[in-house]
Amino acid sequence: MTQSNFNVKDGQVTSSIFDAEQALDNASQAQFDADKFARYALIGDAMRSQQNQAPCIDITASMADALADEVTYGEQAPQQEPQKVRQEDNVVALSNWRRPLAQVAIAASVSLVAVLGVSNYTPQEQANGDFPVLQSTPVTGSVSPVSLSSEPALESAEKGLRELQQQRIGALVLEHQRQSRMAHALTQQAQEEKEEQKK
Amino acid sequence: MKWLALLLGVGLSAQVVASDIINAKQLLTDMSSAIQERNFDASFVVVKGKGMEPYRWLHGKVEDSELEILSRQNGAGLEVVRVDNKVTYFEPQTQPYSIETDAIAGPIPEILFGEIGSLSNSYDFVLGGKERIADRAAQLVRLVSKDEHKYNYWLWIDIQSALLLKAAYVTQQGEVLEQLQLTHISVTEQPAPPLIELSSKDFPMPLASLAETENTQKLQNNWRIGWLPEGFKLLKSDRHKLDLNNELADYFLFSDGLVEFSVFVQRPLSGQRASGALSSGATTVYVHNSGAFDVSVVGKIPTMTAKAIAESVTRPL
Repeated sequence: MTQSNFNVKDGQVTSSIFDAEQALDNASQAQFDADKFARYALIGDAMRSQQNQAPCIDITASMADALADEVTYGEQAPQQEPQKVRQEDNVVALSNWRRPLAQVAIAASVSLVAVLGVSNYTPQEQANGDFPVLQSTPVTGSVSPVSLSSEPALESAEKGLRELQQQRIGALVLEHQRQSRMAHALTQQAQEEKEEQKK
Repeated sequence: MKWLALLLGVGLSAQVVASDIINAKQLLTDMSSAIQERNFDASFVVVKGKGMEPYRWLHGKVEDSELEILSRQNGAGLEVVRVDNKVTYFEPQTQPYSIETDAIAGPIPEILFGEIGSLSNSYDFVLGGKERIADRAAQLVRLVSKDEHKYNYWLWIDIQSALLLKAAYVTQQGEVLEQLQLTHISVTEQPAPPLIELSSKDFPMPLASLAETENTQKLQNNWRIGWLPEGFKLLKSDRHKLDLNNELADYFLFSDGLVEFSVFVQRPLSGQRASGALSSGATTVYVHNSGAFDVSVVGKIPTMTAKAIAESVTRPL
């Protein structure tokens, strides 16, 4: 049997297995294309619009990647890095310029000062004026405990700490919400006590 | 003739200014009584940055008792029921509990249902322009903070019915942080059926004493909070375990009548962590790592204010 013949048959076998026109046995399984089968199943689901049983798309890998890239809590290092790189770039540029002409070297050094001056200025301004942002996940007014506890087990100490702090912040927000429900009653209570004392 | 008209005009505009000052407060008072008197079925959304929470709000009077239901329509859910002076909170993962008070603590500050005059120490009442909100003519009333340590609160009130149509927390720079917008309201003669059902149901007894429960103890000068924004008063302080992670915290609750903030003092988490803030809508969480202990401030206050409060906490001398 030639290769091309096999390929044509390949799709047919998968399709016919999917349509239950062919039994799934050892012979057919050898020519069975699992990816294609999953795709057919997905298409079928979508066409029958079975949205309750959402098509199963595996996003764990992409989520893990995204989490790995997420900025660590309160870490300021990444902010400083671009500045350093820029500095090195400028030094190289200067040494290249210096070789051909001294005048150009002077001009370049002036522009270097200008560039450095600017690049130094902005981060400092940021550091003084604003606060480091702890996390990008927004805390909704209603922190649902579910989202906090459904995280998988801690993988590394650093991640563990971050999680612990996130959990703590979740607990603080929830506690604030609960406690502030009593605030109005407490204010009224305090006022009543004051009035009684006056009498 | 011209000068007479001019004089009349000046006189009239002066009168308008004078009545405006009364009006802003009067409008709020009218709103508060309208909310308490009428039978209505309303839907509103709370928008915080990119987040959005839809709510349904029912209110009515059945045989002299005031009934109210507020429920969040998305996610894990929250249902709050008020029968006169008993408010019961139903939430997932906790037992329902009741508090003895005359207003539901939801997205709308409770003070707006009550005696608004007490706010005049911290806020100015300013009348804004007229706008069309939820297809109704609305009058803007601004609660303007007297200092820069708090947010302003803007309200749009239905000119016809005096009901609240829209409200927003606004920074001193005029940036809207969090807003509440009615999407639908129907005012009816008769209260909605779910409210009538309420009067025949039983709810848990209100918590015996608000200040103290079983595993809390009164705090006495454990910590010194060096700075507070003007107008905030201590309502409660104790030491208790947090519900979610069972961590022990020294706790303080402050309020200026419109907004509350909480101060938590806890043992520090291990490792080097910088202090920092995060926020959602108007709510700020500021975590300050002061070495021997962690101070966290949570509330609808600006980040700078939360930072200043957190950093002012010291051990007593």
